[in-house]
Amino acid sequence: MDWDQFDLNPKTIAALKKADIKSVKEILNLSGADLQRLMKLSSADIQCLLKTVSRALRRSSMLTALQLYQDQDHLTSQHQKLSLGCSVLDNLLKGGIPLVGITELAGESSAGKTQISLQLCLCVQYPYKYGGLESGAVYICTEDVFPSKRLQQLIDQQHKLRADVPAEVIQKIRFGNSIFVERAADLDTFQQCITRRLSLLLARGMVRLVVIDSIAALFRCEFSPAEAALKARYLQTFGAQLHSLSTRFRTPIMCINQVWVLGSRVTPALGITWANQLLMRLMVSRVSLPGHSSGAASHGAGTRRTLSVVFAPHLPPSFCYYTVQLEGVKGIK
Amino acid sequence: MQREVGTLPLAPALRARLAAAGFQTAQELLDTGPGGLSKEIGISREEALEALRVVRQECHGDAARTAGGSGTTRKCTALELLEEEQTQGFIITFCSALDSILGGGVQLTKITEICGAPGVGKTQLCMQLAVDVQIPECFGGVAGEAVFIDTEGSFMVDRVVDIAAACVQHCHLIAEAQQEEEHRKALETFSLENILSHIYYFRCRDYTELLAQVYLLPEFLSEHSKVRLVVIDGIAFPFRHDFEDLSLRTRLLNGLAQQLIIIANDHKSAVVLTNQMTTRIGQSQSTLVPALGESWGHAATVRLIFHWDNSQRLATLYKSPSQKESTIPYHITCHGFRDVQPPAVSHSTAGTELNPRKRPRTEEEKQ
Repeated sequence: MDWDQFDLNPKTIAALKKADIKSVKEILNLSGADLQRLMKLSSADIQCLLKTVSRALRRSSMLTALQLYQDQDHLTSQHQKLSLGCSVLDNLLKGGIPLVGITELAGESSAGKTQISLQLCLCVQYPYKYGGLESGAVYICTEDVFPSKRLQQLIDQQHKLRADVPAEVIQKIRFGNSIFVERAADLDTFQQCITRRLSLLLARGMVRLVVIDSIAALFRCEFSPAEAALKARYLQTFGAQLHSLSTRFRTPIMCINQVWVLGSRVTPALGITWANQLLMRLMVSRVSLPGHSSGAASHGAGTRRTLSVVFAPHLPPSFCYYTVQLEGVKGIK
Repeated sequence: MQREVGTLPLAPALRARLAAAGFQTAQELLDTGPGGLSKEIGISREEALEALRVVRQECHGDAARTAGGSGTTRKCTALELLEEEQTQGFIITFCSALDSILGGGVQLTKITEICGAPGVGKTQLCMQLAVDVQIPECFGGVAGEAVFIDTEGSFMVDRVVDIAAACVQHCHLIAEAQQEEEHRKALETFSLENILSHIYYFRCRDYTELLAQVYLLPEFLSEHSKVRLVVIDGIAFPFRHDFEDLSLRTRLLNGLAQQLIIIANDHKSAVVLTNQMTTRIGQSQSTLVPALGESWGHAATVRLIFHWDNSQRLATLYKSPSQKESTIPYHITCHGFRDVQPPAVSHSTAGTELNPRKRPRTEEEKQ
């Protein structure tokens, strides 16, 4: 750390170098008394040091809520969201997935989680004016194999799903090229994937969406009840790392989660430790409707699928119905 | 900042050189910076830095004095403290049940902690308070401004807009009912844009940034003396990972608590913190308790725990020096934080007051 660049007394700078203090974080971690002792400076000098380094770290970081509200720049605005590719679903979420933070999509198997995630991987590639982020996606598989056939079906049918986008725009996008599939079946591989591969792809601007399918699978077998504290630490570390990447690169992180069935209630897996990491929690469910014969003509006529908002800072608890068709997931008004 | 150079506590020789070089106000000195200063008046860089440090301290001291802050201890009797406390403002929450168990609302000069599971409404209450602190005095508010420190990225400005619009609407209804001149006048400046422009938003991405921001708060509050609310949403998130050494975490949290107590007192502001819940594994069962450990429990003066009972949201006053422990239900509507049932509509003027603690006006005061 080059202390000379700070607005500090040369006496303080010399003391910092002599005490071998290398970062602002170190200074703020030490107590006032420790700093005085290490650097042999008076308490007034130490207070001055603390204020100076704090100022340097937090230079021009204040915004008023009005500035946040009026910011329309698609690179910084809170109003910018990632569309789901369907206006009904986007309306439920008041625009789409927020760009900063971890969004969870929880539900039983075959409820539609993977369908929605695949759809997002295509939506992110559209231009900003069509609700995309003009970039690719990373899809991290932790248990099942990546559904490439289904992805190809969706790509072929994009013109049908996205009738709001001109055909020539859709044709120009090479959907398959911008989806990076990673496999991480255990915690260590997953850790590596986040810290190396993900950081690289994000830093190069090649992706602006991360899908993790699923987070629960990583924790299913590996922990005995006695290791609850260790499991919690992993969850908190992953949560913090993903959150940090999301903030740095303004990239939504979509985590698919499974559910536990407790009596009559269905709750997302991984408990409150994981829930504390989330910005937004969505749930999908699938209910067989009574009174339909098993030989129903159109696919899925006997099921009702629901997408609900469990919590989000900007949305009330609400839900809508949707179907899964050949071209993708579409909300029902 | 506009102090004349001649009045600053610097060595006379130095003052003479500054005057000769054409410096007139303290602000000019600060703008020039140490490098420029040492060149202009021919002193060493060390001396320039020292001089600037003195100038900054003087200006900060001036601002603190005019803002009513005190850096020295003062003696007073318990009666004086009681009287002072009774005139302290409260920031109402728009949920009258919650205001009443708190004794009037979120109290200035105290630290209030809100704990709860994700999604129960902690951030919603913080956003509501950032709006409510700005309610003009004639409507029963404290006419203050708000600082919002966000560590999780959960401050969604669109939601704040909804809450602020509903609050303005509410005040308009009161003004129409009461037809008083001062209400109309206050509403001229109590608009959506004004409210948003007085919420000062800071985003801290890790605990180092949070610590740095809190070191800078006293200076910020001196410059923005109308701030009456400091929100940190949430205090737990940056401190619950990345700590191999829990004793370091405890020490940093204690230091933070001390600084916040001083800030709350010196600047007559309410400090509101949100905290997460964690599972404590007991012998036969596990319970949800506030995160950050036992010693953190002493940091806040007032502790609220938000929780669910099936689908009803409940708020429990868990710790307070003056109010008893109680639980009330609340709602979060599209307008913000509210009671479960609207309070009984009363047609007297006292009933349309927002703040139940506001003393009714007497004839002498009206002059």
